Amino acid sequence: MAAMMTHTRLLFALMTALLLSACADMPKLPKLSGEQEPTVVYALGSRDGFQSPLQGALKPACPALEFGGDGYTLTGGHKKLLSTLVTEWEKEKPKYLISGYTPPGLPEDFARSLSERRAQAVRQHLIENGIDAASLQTVGFGFDSSPSSPTSSVVVIYRQ
Amino acid sequence: MNAARHLPILCLLILFCADVKAGVLPSWLQFWKSGPKTSPVKVEKKSVSVAAFGGGTGASARQALVAELTTAREFLLTEDKADFTISGSSVGGRITGRIVNASGKELIERTYAAPGLDENAKALADDVILAITGKPGLATSRIVFVSDKSGTKQVYLCDPDGREVLQVTHHSYGAVSPSLNSDASAVAYTSYRNGFPVVQWLDLGQGWERTVTDTPGSSFGAAFSPDGQRLALVMSFLGNPEVFVTDLTTSTAACISDTTGAPSSPAWHPDGKQIIFADDRGDGPRLYIAEVPETSETEAKLLRWRTGYSFCTDPEFSPDGQSVVFTTRVGGEYTVVVKGWPNGATKVIQGGGASHPSWSPNGRSVCYAQRGSLYVHHLASGQRRAILEKHGQITEPRWMK
Repeated sequence: MAAMMTHTRLLFALMTALLLSACADMPKLPKLSGEQEPTVVYALGSRDGFQSPLQGALKPACPALEFGGDGYTLTGGHKKLLSTLVTEWEKEKPKYLISGYTPPGLPEDFARSLSERRAQAVRQHLIENGIDAASLQTVGFGFDSSPSSPTSSVVVIYRQ
Repeated sequence: MNAARHLPILCLLILFCADVKAGVLPSWLQFWKSGPKTSPVKVEKKSVSVAAFGGGTGASARQALVAELTTAREFLLTEDKADFTISGSSVGGRITGRIVNASGKELIERTYAAPGLDENAKALADDVILAITGKPGLATSRIVFVSDKSGTKQVYLCDPDGREVLQVTHHSYGAVSPSLNSDASAVAYTSYRNGFPVVQWLDLGQGWERTVTDTPGSSFGAAFSPDGQRLALVMSFLGNPEVFVTDLTTSTAACISDTTGAPSSPAWHPDGKQIIFADDRGDGPRLYIAEVPETSETEAKLLRWRTGYSFCTDPEFSPDGQSVVFTTRVGGEYTVVVKGWPNGATKVIQGGGASHPSWSPNGRSVCYAQRGSLYVHHLASGQRRAILEKHGQITEPRWMK
């Protein structure tokens, strides 16, 4: 009886070892963890007729939206600020330029991308709340325009 | 009974130990192995002697050549019998050089007739290095960078000694994010023409400028492919910023990144088939590799490359494709790190705020920006040198390759 038990265990051990060895040939799967749900789905329209804040002082349409860390998700506070913009647009249908900035010191290309991504997140939210996609244009400056432009992690919306 | 109980465990142990050498174990069980072992191959330096140069400017030409070869540290310079002998002559700044090996066979004979003697000596030194080692010399290579010296950010060029500084762009709202092609004949960059980012391409020899993309949203991070025919760059006209590959001859673009985050700083593998870039999907930038599709029908494959760091930007493949250099954050300060590709040990090259590294064309050094100065760091010896200081705030350096 004991001998049989040993054999069973030996067999089991052998099978396990073989199974583990087989894992070496398993294909590697792409690892894309920490992914957020796709949120930006509207392509940009033509930039014609939009004025850049670099060309001259433009008036912000609402207080600047401040962001923290390396994220680009809108908070409740941001959405509250943006709600006034939606009511303003419904009355006068103006065009808005959504412009992202970061403080100096971040890697330059990352700063451009992050500021553009934040501007896109704001644009997406405004479109979802009824503003026409063609009236909204984005740009991400990173900190290329500092120190004459904002030097913190903000998205500023300029009325054109 | 006790022995019988432990037999299976023993069996497993024996199997495991026997399989280690055969490499049958799955990689996640090989915890005692720290990646593939790469023992550095000790290469004997070739000895080179420089004979006296004839002609009116021969003595100064020889002196300039010896100085270039000494800084290059590729050979053992000797006065005695050497593996290679360089002889030549120089008249009025022109230099004719000849390399002969120990058995008397001539490798090259060439005349350099550029306006300056130093320029000719550098060209000869690079040809000597290429002919003997097979790797490009650095004397005639160029580094492109951004500086705010003029009040706005503009693109500049310099040589690896930090000399021959040349301002390339004069845009009223600035120009950033530059990259050079493999022979430093063209530079691609983002300019804020009309106040919005536009990717432009400047031919340094001919002097003409061409707009590569003028799309809504942002465009930046242009990088020349190894063959110089394509550009990888980030554009956001579709909504979310994505990495695109655009063909410079046909002006077509294909999206290769498929991200919902914020991608930045794409760089090519020397085989021209893969692109590495940083992508922030909400929790900081990490590194991703995209395969460049060969036809428009095939889809780009995308995979994450785990580096062990949670904040990685500005990656760049080494010229031999064996390693990647990138910027990360260690203890709140930017640090330049090299990691073997695809699996290899990580080595910290320089901490204390060093960022935006770029390989030299021969893969032996990297340049980076640190506290507004431009550094060249020799990897094997660990020696580093500030090649350009007090030239405004220097950022985003990139060596041609």
